Amino acid sequence: MVDMPAQNPQRIVLPPHRERARRPRIVRLREWARRNLFNSRAGTFLTIITAAILALIIYGVVYFVFVDANWRVITENRWLLFAGGYPMDQEWRLWFSVMFVFLLIGLTYGTWASLGRRDHLFIVLASGFAILLLAHGGAAIWSTIWYLIAVGLLYAGYAITIRMPREAGPGRTLQQRSVAGLLIAALPIVLIVLLAFGGARPRELEGFVLNLVLAPVGIVGGLIIAIPLALGRASRMRAISWTCTTYIEVVRGAPLLGWLFVALFILDDVIGGELIVRAMVVLAVFTAAYMAEYIRGALQALPHGQSEAAHAVGLNQFQSMQLIVMPQALRISIPPMVGQAISIWKDTTLVTVILPLRELKGNADSAIAQFEFTPDRIEAYVFVAVVFWVVAFIMSRISQRVEGSLGIGER
Amino acid sequence: MTTETEATPTRDLESMEDIIIAENVDKWFGDFQALDNISMRIKEHEIVVVLGPSGSGKSTFIRCLNRLEEHDAGRIVIDGIEMNDDVRNLNAIRSEVGMVFQQFNLFPHLSVMNNITLGPRKVRRMPKLDADALAMQLLERVGIPEQAEKYPAQLSGGQQQRVAIARALAMQPKIMLFDEPTSALDPEMIKEVLDVMQELARSGMTMIVVTHEMGFAREVADRLIFFDEGSLVEEGTPQHFFENPQEDRTKLFLSQIL
Repeated sequence: MVDMPAQNPQRIVLPPHRERARRPRIVRLREWARRNLFNSRAGTFLTIITAAILALIIYGVVYFVFVDANWRVITENRWLLFAGGYPMDQEWRLWFSVMFVFLLIGLTYGTWASLGRRDHLFIVLASGFAILLLAHGGAAIWSTIWYLIAVGLLYAGYAITIRMPREAGPGRTLQQRSVAGLLIAALPIVLIVLLAFGGARPRELEGFVLNLVLAPVGIVGGLIIAIPLALGRASRMRAISWTCTTYIEVVRGAPLLGWLFVALFILDDVIGGELIVRAMVVLAVFTAAYMAEYIRGALQALPHGQSEAAHAVGLNQFQSMQLIVMPQALRISIPPMVGQAISIWKDTTLVTVILPLRELKGNADSAIAQFEFTPDRIEAYVFVAVVFWVVAFIMSRISQRVEGSLGIGER
Repeated sequence: MTTETEATPTRDLESMEDIIIAENVDKWFGDFQALDNISMRIKEHEIVVVLGPSGSGKSTFIRCLNRLEEHDAGRIVIDGIEMNDDVRNLNAIRSEVGMVFQQFNLFPHLSVMNNITLGPRKVRRMPKLDADALAMQLLERVGIPEQAEKYPAQLSGGQQQRVAIARALAMQPKIMLFDEPTSALDPEMIKEVLDVMQELARSGMTMIVVTHEMGFAREVADRLIFFDEGSLVEEGTPQHFFENPQEDRTKLFLSQIL
């Protein structure tokens, strides 16, 4: 009976793509290159041109970094660039803050996302960069150790939270609330650690530390102002909506540089106080105007049925806003908000131009003002650029992940 | 005149109180009159199906009954509470009137469980454990207890609409409004939602249903109401409607839809 070969169960025909996958890697690579790089005469030409340009750039960068550049301008001015006028005997406060933030990053990733291969690679590369910087010259061996402990805390926090169950339940809720609470408390905690109880005076915040303080204050403060501003602008009460609209249009109508001048000269007479506080106020007020517009856009994008359903189950106007509308609007506005956050992060450099506040770029200027390092301007600025890029990149990665994990239940 | 057919459960609606009273209700959208002098009374436990072509004002009318739309003239009284600008009245009415929407309008950022418990917990101040127990009970009733921890987007349309019904029931309303509850569903999911509604009708809920499901109207409704161009054109029992409609507009509509 069983004489038809087609029914032989032993014979398994591989689907074509599986068969292809079995061929040696070099053959597959060659085929991929032919398809994607050399598929036509024009394609081949473009590939060669691009490869040549890339090779030139890479050669130039490698030559600059490893041969041409004199990185002593950085290693000799490490403290100046990073902490500037921060009292050196209070260094532990800086490291404590770094460790706290790293731990928090680990906890956050473990709770809402997971570290992928690219994240690990980035951490390794960024750490290599940091250690190269910290360990060079040997004087700062302790800094390297502190830094490694911070990275260790990141992974420890991650390892603990990633193992906790993700299914909804009281434990999960508690975990989410604790980490969220820590995130909210993070900025005040860091500020207290840096400044209070015998820490530095505000004016002693300098260098990279100053950027790292100014930007979060601007972003968090901006968000806090932006939410009522957006609601006010959308309000049906004319006086309120008109006031909020005026605020937004006026603030967005002038460059940040201009507002920093206002902080320097006009606010001095009005509110006085520490320059750094005035700079913080200006950054927050400036950021808020943009964020309010993103939130307003999100509010408009939200289907009207959401607030109707909220009212239909009996929630009042405030509850509907707090529990239904705002959480969704804030989530929709995460991408533009992160764009704004990255932008304000880079704009903290403007502070140096206007105010006698010395942030990273300002202290890089001081570094190359030393006679010995004047020829090393490019090195100093390249370094500043890389540091800014690293932080901006971290912000954008984290936000992508947050967005992805908040996306559960997205329509 | 009100001869009960076999399909309609024998109930003594005559002796019931009027739970919804609408008198001379007008509603304008700018220059467009959406409701023109609508008056009706609905008794407790009554099942009313509202029919009409799109734009006839039927949705607007039931949205006026929990003030998702504000009526411009006339009077609406729900269970003895006057619908007016008094916020306390409005809150009282809204917690007595549940609503199910065409587009479900579940809260996408909350789990099914939290969608259902939100109202009881925030409005009725019910403790979380009680609210959770109530929600599970309601999910059993609509037939999807296993979906409690999922998010709305992970459910089919029919399941979402059943969650929406459970959410409305969680406030323990006296009246349920259904605004085309099956119009956004794929055909194979319509029945599961209608079954839940039918069960609800048998349990004695007062229901006002805007729908195009004629089978449901014929089987479940005590009374049918036909709207056209903002006016109440004709009303009567299912039997009256399907066997002996009086108005030309009703006849035309029924001939198009049946």
